[in-house]
Amino acid sequence: MDETRQVVGDEIVEHVSTLVEGVFDRLKPILVAVDTLLAGPSRPHADELDRLSPQVRDALGGIVIGAGFVCAPRTLSDQEFGFQWWETAPGGPPTQLFISLDPASESFLDYTRQSWFTVPRDTGRRHITGPYVDYLCTDEYTLTFTIPVRRQGSFAGVVGADVYVREFERALRPVLRPLGSRAALVNAQGRVIVSNSIRQVTGSLVREVDVASWWMTQAPLRGGTTLRRCGDAPIALVNSAAR
Amino acid sequence: MRKGMSHGARSAMFAPLDQLGRAEAVAARLVDAITLGLLADAERLPSEAELAAQFGVSTVTVREALVVLRQRGLVETRRGRGGGSFVTAPAGGPSPSWQDSLRAVSLGELRDIGDHYAAIAGAAARLAADRSSTEDIQRLELATADLRSATGVEVARAERQFHLEVAAAAQSPRLTQEEVQLQRACGGLLWLPLGSGEPGGHEEHRAITEAISDGAGDAARRLTEDHVLNAVDRLAGLHLDLGP
Repeated sequence: MDETRQVVGDEIVEHVSTLVEGVFDRLKPILVAVDTLLAGPSRPHADELDRLSPQVRDALGGIVIGAGFVCAPRTLSDQEFGFQWWETAPGGPPTQLFISLDPASESFLDYTRQSWFTVPRDTGRRHITGPYVDYLCTDEYTLTFTIPVRRQGSFAGVVGADVYVREFERALRPVLRPLGSRAALVNAQGRVIVSNSIRQVTGSLVREVDVASWWMTQAPLRGGTTLRRCGDAPIALVNSAAR
Repeated sequence: MRKGMSHGARSAMFAPLDQLGRAEAVAARLVDAITLGLLADAERLPSEAELAAQFGVSTVTVREALVVLRQRGLVETRRGRGGGSFVTAPAGGPSPSWQDSLRAVSLGELRDIGDHYAAIAGAAARLAADRSSTEDIQRLELATADLRSATGVEVARAERQFHLEVAAAAQSPRLTQEEVQLQRACGGLLWLPLGSGEPGGHEEHRAITEAISDGAGDAARRLTEDHVLNAVDRLAGLHLDLGP
């Protein structure tokens, strides 16, 4: 890759990292509050989750449109599932999210299958899920940032934030533009988050490179296409060969 | 508020409250309104701001009152577009049985519901075939497995989750929102909580998932349309059996 593109690539990678760290930083006070909540000798009651609401609401802002804590099953003493989640509302104060938590109900949908829950649970590390259509919450194309939480050595749930893909795109498009029409930011499956090309629009899968395989080794590729990871986020910058 | 409600009834219901126990008082007023049928089942409540203004209390108080109503299963709050707080308890007794719902709908309406649902779900399946990743397929497979052993209300739930996952795998917020609306409006009818559910339903889901996984868009759409139309045919048969 020629020097100009290297420098511009460096800028993009740094810009993405800054944006990502900015979101995770907003979650830190919630983590502290959750740790306090879970620190007692017995499991908390569902209504104690309301104690998190000040920190959760404070986390909203900038590109963060939803935030909160989602419990692993049986983290609470009186309910199998539970969460405290707030979302921004246009022209008004934040609103609290309620969805059916009763497994016997027809409208119950199991949140424990979503990647934003399972990946932090299984890896012990924070994760960014998406871009995906979040039908449990936003009904929009979303990126969900989640951090695992533990209680007495066991996985107790995740603290998280939602960001609309279009806002992420808006923040990064200007920085991506100098790389021309073959640059895109993709997730670890090769799904495009932001792109300069209508051929590789947000949501499409990059097929010219097996991104999922590359992610294992992150070894340099042959040919003109380059892939660079952005910090430790599951996001990479793809720069296709000029044709 | 329901059109045609008398001015007297409306103003009495929303007259300002006394100081003490405001959240409980707001909740009690709303419960009365629901029980008396002044607020109909599935009706959307006025916004929190509107209720606060009419009762002469803060929005925080209104919110507390809504928590009480939610806990009592009288109100359901839905997020997103078309969201808000909705009454979930019909006045005067338990919800109509599925037999009543099915009797009330005409064959023509059933066909129309089927056409609409098949169009959305089918289009979503075709897009999912082009756009889904390994993770998406894994979730589809989990949802498919659910239907195999499902009975009663689990059938409705498994169907709902499967079709939502397909719409999400299609990477389409609009189709997902359509799917959510359709499930809300006629999911209860399409995926009736009957015994062991549609025979072959699980096999149909497996075939759809396989087509999506293979990237076979046209097959995925056709199989999904057939799946929905089979459900509608079964309903039509039941409708005719139920008689007038």
